[in-house]
Amino acid sequence: MSILPEAAKKYIGLTSEKEVACDPVERGAVRRYAQAIMDEDPIYSESRDAHARFGGPVAPPLFPTHMVRRPLGAPDPIQEHAKDPDFDGIGATAAQGLPEIEPLKGLSLLNGGSEIEFYRYARHGETVTVQSRYADITEKQTSKGPIILVVIESDYCGADGALLVKARRTQIRR
Amino acid sequence: MAPPKALYFEDIEIGAGPNKLEKGPLTTAHLMRWSAAMENWHKIHYDKPFAMEHDKLPDLLINGSLKQQFIVQLLKDWAGPTGWVWKVSFQFRAMNKVGETLAAWGRVTGKRPGPGYGLVDLDVGITDDKGTESTPGKATVAVPYRGGDAVPYPFVPPKS
Repeated sequence: MSILPEAAKKYIGLTSEKEVACDPVERGAVRRYAQAIMDEDPIYSESRDAHARFGGPVAPPLFPTHMVRRPLGAPDPIQEHAKDPDFDGIGATAAQGLPEIEPLKGLSLLNGGSEIEFYRYARHGETVTVQSRYADITEKQTSKGPIILVVIESDYCGADGALLVKARRTQIRR
Repeated sequence: MAPPKALYFEDIEIGAGPNKLEKGPLTTAHLMRWSAAMENWHKIHYDKPFAMEHDKLPDLLINGSLKQQFIVQLLKDWAGPTGWVWKVSFQFRAMNKVGETLAAWGRVTGKRPGPGYGLVDLDVGITDDKGTESTPGKATVAVPYRGGDAVPYPFVPPKS
């Protein structure tokens, strides 16, 4: 029996607008991120010798992929779902600028993996844009039952419009 | 922190690779710190009843988004100040539960010339305390030739 609604397949190919991350690369956000991943590389700090090659202090390689955040004034999913025991805590940012796939609402979400290409680090203070696309939505049979695979491709670009990071993520919905 | 060491194409041997990068044991505080740093509040990483009773998971899970950082750090540090991590891919094939100590690893599977730099292909992954693999993948790192220029930054990939 298929668990993938036909209506969900209509999202394949849907591309988001180019979205500007609500904050530029903030020094404090970089520090918290570097401490959380336990990679306190001096290139993320103000040390001039360490970051000379990069033209200034930079953010960790995957930092741009986590810059799609909820801007001030946008709906607050945590408060909106405060009385919903089924709310999983995930907000709209998981779709990287794309609209949520309505027919899959309520299904649990797991991270299935990624393919990532790196071109440049984001510099402190730099504005980053993201554009994403639902590349594929398919169903797969596993030993634990059917799952839905949602593939999202995202391009993260710096202030010069050039690519920083290209990511192809697979989300598992079941 | 000691200054990073440059890595040269000629010195890389097939079957060798970076030393394992160990992280952990990864506690609920580590997971909460990561959730806060990236502002992602998925409950399966900090709300145990939700993870186990609602989502039927075996325990709180270590975020895939955190695990991928360990592989990237392993490669970045190995590539050194004149190299560049070009590509990395991985699948989250198995769950890692809170409390585990993880080790990111990489092993060179091939070397090939690029335009002014060398390209090194690796198998990568993450094992838990028992040596079980959870995150198998592949990577390609660009490194300079001995006596050659640093890999261009921003990175210019080879023409395919």
